[in-house]
Amino acid sequence: MDKFDKKYTRFEKARIIGARGLQIAMGAPVLISTKSYDPIDIAMLEFEKGVIPITVKRMSK
Amino acid sequence: MRLAKKDTVKALERRGIDAKTAETLCNAGFTMGKLKKASIEDVMKAGISKTSAGKVMEKLSKIDTKVTKTTKKVKKEERGAVTPLLIDSKLKGLPLPLSIIDELRTYLNKVKPTEAQLERILQMSVDAYERARIEPCEAVGIVAAQSIGEPGTQMTMRTFHYAGVAEINVTLGLPRLIEIADARKVPSTPIMRIKLEPEYARDREKARALGWKIEETNIIDVGSIAVDMAKMQVVIELNEKILSRRNITAEEIAKKVGAETNLDVQLEGLKLTVNPGRHSYRGLLQLVEDVKGITLKGVKGIHRIIIRKENGEYVLYTEGSALKRVLQFEGVNASRTKTNNINEIAEVLGIEAARNAIISEAMDTLREQGLEVDIRHIMLVADMVTAEGEVKQIGRHGVAGEKASVLSRAAFEVTVNHLLDAGVKGHVDELAGVTENVIVGQPIQLGTGDVELMYKAKE
Repeated sequence: MDKFDKKYTRFEKARIIGARGLQIAMGAPVLISTKSYDPIDIAMLEFEKGVIPITVKRMSK
Repeated sequence: MRLAKKDTVKALERRGIDAKTAETLCNAGFTMGKLKKASIEDVMKAGISKTSAGKVMEKLSKIDTKVTKTTKKVKKEERGAVTPLLIDSKLKGLPLPLSIIDELRTYLNKVKPTEAQLERILQMSVDAYERARIEPCEAVGIVAAQSIGEPGTQMTMRTFHYAGVAEINVTLGLPRLIEIADARKVPSTPIMRIKLEPEYARDREKARALGWKIEETNIIDVGSIAVDMAKMQVVIELNEKILSRRNITAEEIAKKVGAETNLDVQLEGLKLTVNPGRHSYRGLLQLVEDVKGITLKGVKGIHRIIIRKENGEYVLYTEGSALKRVLQFEGVNASRTKTNNINEIAEVLGIEAARNAIISEAMDTLREQGLEVDIRHIMLVADMVTAEGEVKQIGRHGVAGEKASVLSRAAFEVTVNHLLDAGVKGHVDELAGVTENVIVGQPIQLGTGDVELMYKAKE
C-alpha cells in the first residue's frame, strides 16, 4: 500500500506549490535556475524537480 | 463532425488510399465502419471510378486479413499458458480489493494467458483501479448528492407511473427513491419475489400449491358473511370450489373461528353460524369485523400471490411482505428470495444485507427510469445510512439530526430548537466538520484545506 503514500494528491500538490509560490513572491531565494519571473511558475518547476523543502503531514497511519 | 471526417481521411490515407479519393469518400458520408461493410457499387455511387473503387476495397480488405493473421498468432502463444498456481502467487501481492482479485482469478484461469500477457493484464488492472480511486480530501458527499440529485430532477417530470410485475402495482420513480431515503418502516407497496427450490420451481402444480399455502386466506376469501338480525347471529356461507382450491375444509374453518372468537360455532354443510350469546346490536357488528379479520391460513400480510415463469422456473410474486415467515416454508429458496421492505431485511438478515438492499433498490429504481448513476454514490449513501447498525433516515430524524455539531444541525432544520437546547445544556462545538467552519468563516477540512504542511529537510 505504500505505493500510494509516496504520491501527492492534487490537493497536496496545489497546497505545496501555493505555499512555495508565496515564499518566492515574498523574496525567498529560488532553488533552481530559470528565466521565469512568475513565482507560481517557479514554484511548479521546483516542485517537478523535487527541491521544495516542504512536505505534508498526514494525520492517520 | 469536421474532426471525425479528418480522422477518417487520415485513417484511409494510412491504409494507402490517396488523399483525393479519401476526401470524396468522407464527403459522401462514409466512415471506416461503413466502408468496411460497403460493396464496390456503394463506393462507386460516391463518385469514384471503378478502378479506384476496386483499389479501395482491396486495401481495406487487406487490412482485415492482416488483423485475422495477428489474432491467429495470439492463439498460438496461448499454448505456453501459465499455471493457475502462478496466477495465484502473482495475484497475492496486488494492492486490489479481494472481490476484484477473485474476479481476476476466475477470468485469468479461463483465458489462460502467457506470462507476459499476465503481467500486462495485472499491470493494467492495477492502473485502472488506481485511476478509479478517489483521492483523499475529495468532497465525495457533495459529489454523491449532486450525482443522485440531478437525475432526480429529471424523474419528477415523468413519474407516478406503474410498471413491474404483471398485475401488481409497484411504487417506482421519485416516490420510491424518497421512500428509500426516508427509511420508512413499511414501503407503500411491499412486494416479495419468492424464488423456489428446483423441484418446486419446475413444477407448476407444486409452485401453485406453495403459493396457496403462503397467501393469507381470510374468511371473506372463502365465502360471504351475513348478519341474521332475527336470530342475532353471524352466518357465513362457504364456497365449495374455493375451499378445495385453497385446500382447506369447512371443519377446519369452524374450528379456527371457534378458537379465535371463543364462541359457539355450528356447522351445517357449508353454512357456519356463530352465536355471540350476548344480545347487543353493536356487539354483533363488532363480531362481524372480528370474524373478517381471522386469518385461516397462510402468512399474515401476504395479500396476493402471482405466479410467473421466469427463465424456465416458476417464481412467486407477492403483494405484501413477510420475509421472516416466508423463508421458513419448505420449497422456498431463502438465498434468492427478496423483498423491497428494507427494514424487514435489516431485522431478519442483518444490517449488511440491508445495505445491499438499499443499494440494489436505489439502483433499480434509477435504472428503471433510464438513469445511470455510478453505484459508488449510492454505496456512500447506503453506508452513511447503515453505519450505526440500524437503517437511519437521511433527514431530521436520522443522519442529519444526529450529527455531533450543534451548528451543523442548526444549519439544517429547526434552527432555534437546536441552538436553544445547546445553550441550555452548555454544549461545545468542536468545529470539526465542514458546515460549522463555513458558518464561522474558517477554511474547511476539504481539498487543499485539509492539507497540513511541514518542513522537509534536505536528504
